[in-house]
Amino acid sequence: MSTELIKVTINEQEFEVEKGAKLIEVCREKGFGIPSFCYYGDLALQASCRMCLVRIEKMPKLQTSCTITCTDGMIVTTQSEEIEKAQRAMSEFLLANHPLDCPVCDRGGECELQEMVMDWGDLEERFVERKNAQPEKFLSPIVANDPQRCILCKRCTRVCDEWMGEEAIEAGNRGVNTVIGTYGGWLGCSQCGNCIEVCPTGTLLDGVYRHETRPWEMDQTRTTDVYSSDGMQLSIGSRGGEVHRIVARDRYVNGLNGEFLDVKARFAHGFINSKDRIKTPLIRYKKGGKLIPSTWDEAIHFVGSKLKESGNNVGVVASSRLTNESIFTLKRFATEAVNSNNYAVSDAYDLAPFFDNLSAPLCTHKEIRHAKTILLIGGEPEEEQTFTAKQIRQAVRNGGAKFIVVHDTPIRLAAQASQFIHVNKGSLDAFALAFADQSDATITKKLGAAQTEIDDLLKTIGETEGDFIIMFGGDLSAEAQAVLANVAGSFASDTRRALLHPLPLYNNSVGANDMMAGKKPLEEVLRTSKALLIAGSLPEDKTDLLANKDFVVVQELFETATTEYADVVLPAASFAEVDGTFTNNAGFVQRVRKAIEPIHQSKPDWVIASMIARELGADFGYNFSSTMVFKAIADSVPAYEGLRYPLLKDESKPVQAKYSPVAKRDLSNEFAALRRKVEALPETSEKITETPRVGHKLHRVTTMTGKTDQFHLLAAGNPKPENLLVSPLVQFNLDGTPRLVEMAEAASVNVKDRIDDKETVASKVVLK
Amino acid sequence: MEIKAIGCEPLQLKRVGMKDSHTLKVYQETGGYESLKKAMNMTQDDIINEVKASALRGRGGAGFPTGMKWSFVPRQSPKQKYIVCNADESEPGTFKDRYLLELDPHSLIEGMLIAAFALGSQACYIYYRGEYRYLIDIMDKAIEEARAANLVGKNILGSDFSCEVYTHTGAGAYICGEETALLSSLEGYRGHPRMKPPFPAIEGLYASPTVVNNVETLTSVPQIIEMGGEAWKKLGTEKSGGTKLWSVSGHVKKPGVYELPMGYADMEKFIMEDCGGMRRPDKKLKAVIPGGSSVYIMNAEQIIGKNVTLDYEGLVEAGSMVGSGGFIVMDETVDVVESTKNLTEFYKHESCGWCTPCREGTDWLVKIFNRISIGEGRPEDAQLLLDICDNIEGKSFCPLGDAAAWPIQSAVKRFPEDFKKWLLNKTNDNGYTANV
Ligand SMILES: Cc1cc2nc3c(=O)[nH]c(=O)nc-3n(C[C@H](O)[C@H](O)[C@H](O)COP(=O)(O)O)c2cc1C
Ligand code: SF4
Ligand code: SF4
Ligand code: SF4
Ligand code: FES
Repeated sequence: MSTELIKVTINEQEFEVEKGAKLIEVCREKGFGIPSFCYYGDLALQASCRMCLVRIEKMPKLQTSCTITCTDGMIVTTQSEEIEKAQRAMSEFLLANHPLDCPVCDRGGECELQEMVMDWGDLEERFVERKNAQPEKFLSPIVANDPQRCILCKRCTRVCDEWMGEEAIEAGNRGVNTVIGTYGGWLGCSQCGNCIEVCPTGTLLDGVYRHETRPWEMDQTRTTDVYSSDGMQLSIGSRGGEVHRIVARDRYVNGLNGEFLDVKARFAHGFINSKDRIKTPLIRYKKGGKLIPSTWDEAIHFVGSKLKESGNNVGVVASSRLTNESIFTLKRFATEAVNSNNYAVSDAYDLAPFFDNLSAPLCTHKEIRHAKTILLIGGEPEEEQTFTAKQIRQAVRNGGAKFIVVHDTPIRLAAQASQFIHVNKGSLDAFALAFADQSDATITKKLGAAQTEIDDLLKTIGETEGDFIIMFGGDLSAEAQAVLANVAGSFASDTRRALLHPLPLYNNSVGANDMMAGKKPLEEVLRTSKALLIAGSLPEDKTDLLANKDFVVVQELFETATTEYADVVLPAASFAEVDGTFTNNAGFVQRVRKAIEPIHQSKPDWVIASMIARELGADFGYNFSSTMVFKAIADSVPAYEGLRYPLLKDESKPVQAKYSPVAKRDLSNEFAALRRKVEALPETSEKITETPRVGHKLHRVTTMTGKTDQFHLLAAGNPKPENLLVSPLVQFNLDGTPRLVEMAEAASVNVKDRIDDKETVASKVVLK
Repeated sequence: MEIKAIGCEPLQLKRVGMKDSHTLKVYQETGGYESLKKAMNMTQDDIINEVKASALRGRGGAGFPTGMKWSFVPRQSPKQKYIVCNADESEPGTFKDRYLLELDPHSLIEGMLIAAFALGSQACYIYYRGEYRYLIDIMDKAIEEARAANLVGKNILGSDFSCEVYTHTGAGAYICGEETALLSSLEGYRGHPRMKPPFPAIEGLYASPTVVNNVETLTSVPQIIEMGGEAWKKLGTEKSGGTKLWSVSGHVKKPGVYELPMGYADMEKFIMEDCGGMRRPDKKLKAVIPGGSSVYIMNAEQIIGKNVTLDYEGLVEAGSMVGSGGFIVMDETVDVVESTKNLTEFYKHESCGWCTPCREGTDWLVKIFNRISIGEGRPEDAQLLLDICDNIEGKSFCPLGDAAAWPIQSAVKRFPEDFKKWLLNKTNDNGYTANV
């Protein structure tokens, strides 16, 4: 937006505002309230609710302030008898067919319609006719729907289209019969729940949380997503030690992602209060024996004595799901308590090659939204870094950005691309080489793409004025990542910034890389250590390596394949039960806050590690305060220098760790290794032509997501039940097979059936 | 059913009585496509200036000056430009375009081609209302005939002007007659109106400059080019140029399509003489809706002895509008509460549902009329109806909301006796009382 200032007069007061500013925003900023429903920042204008009417001099009729761009000399009235009548009128219209039974509506207490009518509406009812009614139903296992509460603001359809690129919901029918509906009666979408979030009324509802509690009964805790590396800010709603739901509603949290979340961040919180959580420390006194509950004192003592026996042959492994505080403490545990350099992160994707060669600044999500050119090499952000994907879509749709995808798979996001370079299966490394070393034209053979395609890409980059962003993930080899990260900086010019964006897999992959400087490859640590302290489970294909270890301690929430090898299992607290920080893929160090007290006897991972350390005679001086741990981080990790919790307090102003870009260095070794890899690729290779199914990664049942029943149905292909009025969880077993026979028939029997034949109707509902 | 011109030479209706009037042969024998040839030897500016000089105003209902609309099109824009003919004719009481489409298709093709030439367009679309699907073959054949004669398609008449004409049907929604909803529908989306600005002239079909004109507007164009804008204007009045078709229905002896010069005097004579007077001589004139259902209804006092001229200014002065020229005459047997209920049901049924006041307001209005019609009207309902209409009018997203409000507002004000019957006595003249 330009910074040229113009004058507008609002309610007889003159203001200077930026040219091009939206009138509704200006009025609100200057303290003149304007009611609205359909207006939603950064979505296509709708102008349908007609709540935001104002009077503008020289214009006939009242005008919708959400569609008006301020012009110099504009004279606006936002308060007058005429405008107030219009506002009351729209509220009255919206309530005409709306049920007035807020006490049974899940949105009651945080409903924008309620609020708007209380603030602007006429409370005396003139509508005495019969209201149009429709039954409540389910649109998917996760999206519940009460159509009669809809005010047709179409925020839902717009976020589905513009944020998600899914277009899964749309209005059907006409006039007063218009309903928000699905194609084919069922939502086969990614189930992000953003439509639920932005719905101002109780029309689209969280099917996981439905009817559990009331909004005002919950404590809201602002914290950071525990799944994706985008570091989305969200609010945990909890009551009496139980987490009931997660939202990003802007009344509770105002983070980098606005109200955007994805299916895991929003709905996969069932694990927190899961009955399967490990409740007490468990000790396996004899190899092959059972895990037996013990006290913390006994367990710590036992672990201490066993680790002492292993001397400095102890390896330490941290999951990149943990907080910086925990990972940092685990590293200190290795170096200070057991004198070992054998520490690793159990992440499939090592970020060291990326960060060690960082030649350009890390880009933020806001910069993605406003980028001019985005190059995505591999990865699948729409399944893994969903907020990044949303920013890309909006950059393309609303910002006209050029988006180039280089991939061996036609991922869904590629449909949005201005250029898609479809390379041979598994040949992304060849692209990295061709891109970094444009002198060698023979590489394109291995790539399965024409040289002209790369020329076109270079031309687009060359023509870019503004931000050029390169994104890639762990499907490139370490050498390829190093090379790409190192050449990125050379694309910058006077009129163009080059920015880098990694695509890590876990919420704290970046933080783990920062905390564990000097870490070794996971496999090496697992092979060379005699005893292991493992916080969070290992990837399943690595657990074999734990066989025949002298002693294995695992800090976990659940019993997993890893705990099967454990001699001691210590119950760890989940992200909802701890204070700390995660670092996201933009380098933002963001707060994790305790929403509920640790479940059962669980403790934060860093507390457990500190307790064992103390047993071994090492005191980290934390005084059991996470603030002290973070201070220790800030004192020893250069990129975090000077950070303190109070500086991270405001989630709307996230703080970026200071990674110092490295100069272009000699990469001949990496180049040579990369060239060897590329040469080893087959000469002619097949192409993957199938676009992966929506949710093939998002809906996976894992230790964590699997504790939310709905994920099992999603993973089983999200079958459409016969009866939309009843929760799919009632109608299906978790593997997706039908559960209640003739359920639909039973629920749709008419009154006559019930009177004539009570017996048969009842007998139709049979549990299989 | 009469189809004739009164007070002028037939222009729009020049060919409708002729045998095979829809064929290229008859069209050309009667001077057809000469205007196109003439126009193709004029500059684009000259053509637009002729249309401006003619004082032609859009015949679709809004009456926007056509020449001005054309001049808004950025002809230098690199984007494709489109001419779209609005043949959605769904305004209750309006049936004039149908006869032009059926009996004189070439005049529309010629009008579109002239518009296309003047605005640098290479594609024209004719959007038929769904219910006119049965007429589309006639147009498709006419287009093929014209193509065979090198009048449509590549290098028209050997020039470097190329232009295609396509037909398309809607699916039965009144709102798709509104120009922006028509464009959404034409693009394959739900027939919702779009935000203006940008106006279609700047961003219309496929976000490109587009002119949307009614059938009758476009069929006027060849006449204007033929006789010159000034001469055409002189057929009518200074501000309302040319002639206009009126679709006359209701309680007159001779309903039909009449071509009248603009400024025809007067409305009473038109009803009582030209249209043959009241169908039942013993029944008096009670009401007239002169411009399609979306205009104010007039009572007899506003017409009889008032010398109302039939043109844009005359009808506004008399308390209504030209609209689409759907001229509905009602005698004293009509109960205006019932006729207004009927219209309100139409608007409720046709509201697209996009915006709050029209969607909810029309539903509420119908519910009130339903209640009144079963004898449960309350005296305060008249005020409530007016207030709901006031809350819709001027606040809806597109003019359909206004169109729903106006008939009710005017009916309540101009026919208070009918409303009193229902709201106070809870019955109509036929002694019908509620079955409560
Ligand atoms: C609800 C609504 C329905 C309309 N229906 C028609 C129609 O059926 N035919 C038509 O020509 N114009 C119709 N219009 C007017 C068009 O929006 C537009 O003004 C017209 O096509 C422009 O052409 P003109 O300038 O030649 O009149 C309608 C407008 C509204 C608001
Ligand atoms: S859950 Fe997400 S993808 Fe599915 S309909 Fe809602 S917004 Fe669209
Ligand atoms: S479902 Fe909610 S968000 Fe969607 S249109 Fe209705 S009220 Fe608006
Ligand atoms: S006034 Fe509103 S609801 Fe009615 S047709 Fe126009 S846009 Fe649709
Ligand atoms: S907020 Fe402006 S019309 Fe809805």
